[in-house]
Amino acid sequence: MTSPSSNPSLPVLRCARCGQLDLRGRTVCSACLSDQLEAFEIQGQGRVASYTTIRRAPTQFRDRAPYEVVVVDLDAGLRITGRLDPDSQPASMGAQVTLVSASGADTVFTVRAHP
Amino acid sequence: MREVSIVGIGSTPFGRHPTIPIEQLGVQAAVQALVDSGIDRSRIGALYLGNFISGPLNGKEVLAGIVADQLGLQNIPCTKVEGACASGGIAFRHAWMAIASGQCDAALVVGVETMTHAPTAQTTAALNCAMDNENDGPSGLTFPGLFGLAWRIHADRYGTTREQVSAVVRKNKANGLLNPLAQMGATLTDEQIASSASICDPLQLYDCCPASDGAAALVLIARDLSGEAAGVPIDVLATVQTRGASRIAGHPDLCSFDATVSAAQRAYAMAGIGPREIDVVELHDCFSVAEIVDSEDLGLVPRGQGAIWAAEGRTAVGGEIPINPSGGLLAKGHPVGATGVGQLFEVVRQLRGSHPNQVGNAEIGMTHNLGGTGVACTVSILKRRA
Repeated sequence: MTSPSSNPSLPVLRCARCGQLDLRGRTVCSACLSDQLEAFEIQGQGRVASYTTIRRAPTQFRDRAPYEVVVVDLDAGLRITGRLDPDSQPASMGAQVTLVSASGADTVFTVRAHP
Repeated sequence: MREVSIVGIGSTPFGRHPTIPIEQLGVQAAVQALVDSGIDRSRIGALYLGNFISGPLNGKEVLAGIVADQLGLQNIPCTKVEGACASGGIAFRHAWMAIASGQCDAALVVGVETMTHAPTAQTTAALNCAMDNENDGPSGLTFPGLFGLAWRIHADRYGTTREQVSAVVRKNKANGLLNPLAQMGATLTDEQIASSASICDPLQLYDCCPASDGAAALVLIARDLSGEAAGVPIDVLATVQTRGASRIAGHPDLCSFDATVSAAQRAYAMAGIGPREIDVVELHDCFSVAEIVDSEDLGLVPRGQGAIWAAEGRTAVGGEIPINPSGGLLAKGHPVGATGVGQLFEVVRQLRGSHPNQVGNAEIGMTHNLGGTGVACTVSILKRRA
């Protein structure tokens, strides 16, 4: 799933009938009910819609805490929930971010520039 | 459609009851409500029970039937409903529908949850079942984190400060001190709140509701039969249930919940009133900033001013629109499936004029119950007769 290049693309779903893009976890297009959802890749650039530092983490994330969760509005038009790379500079509202890895639904971004 | 009235209420204290089996809490609240109503249990034609996580935390399901069995109810339909934190409000609306549609004359509503007996990690995992675990869960997001996201936006957009948000915490904790059923009333200073442990920035410990055990119950009857009841009936002017996005990606604005906005609009239309006619509100303050967002979404406070209104005392008892005089989820506690029923219990006490933290001459009250990441919402409007 993860591209070895420095700018990995993000695997998403695209409806073969109406073209709507969607995140994973669906087998039917919510716009037209087509079941023809095909794998599609979009660029991992976007802006931070909001962010928070999780200090009390669920069990499976406990050894990573604290970590930053970011909601990113991707340039391709999708909103996605991901994490900030621990080596990234801190998030800010509207910061430009780039995807650094995408493994399953685990998406990690890094801050490129602040507004 | 028949009009419906609430004629009986009951509630256990919200708090820590780790040794009481979940069905016993439900039975205790239900008996109180039945006795309060003066209605014979043979009149109850349906039971709706709101609960979220009795399966994962207690290994118990079909709770509605279990509670009905212990209450010796007739062979009636008994249904558990689940909508995460909105389970109780949804149970109430289904009981209302059963009577309004003529399926039965009277119905019992129970909301119940037990959480404190379980290890925190198990409770957190169970609560996270209400999140989209295909897309949002894998990031490590939590429910407090969702409201950390909302707070950042509110602060960025409207300039909301830590001190303004703390006003919500201080108000609800102080209200809780006046409510004997509340789990965590307290007198807090801004310094205590601002120096408490960080949970999910900017949320700190006192911004979060506690884990709780508890149950609440209501007896409903068709309005034209409410003369059978012992006490003063409270009429249901509106009760509405809506759906919002099931995942973060579906929310165009993380500082507002579509499900709340649409539920409020429909409830006002159904009741034939506007926000200014509401005298008292119990709304879903699972986190301090949630009260701010909810009060704006419900149209009670101008957009962006929820924190300012709290800081100016306009949402206190005695203010323009008293919010959460019970202490709310922050102080009264949040036994998830019981919360929505508990809110109705509190508003009925206000409209009867018998609340320990009474809003003067309250005639019309509202409840707001929100589940998941905004995927389920109920808003109800109650009125005492003139």
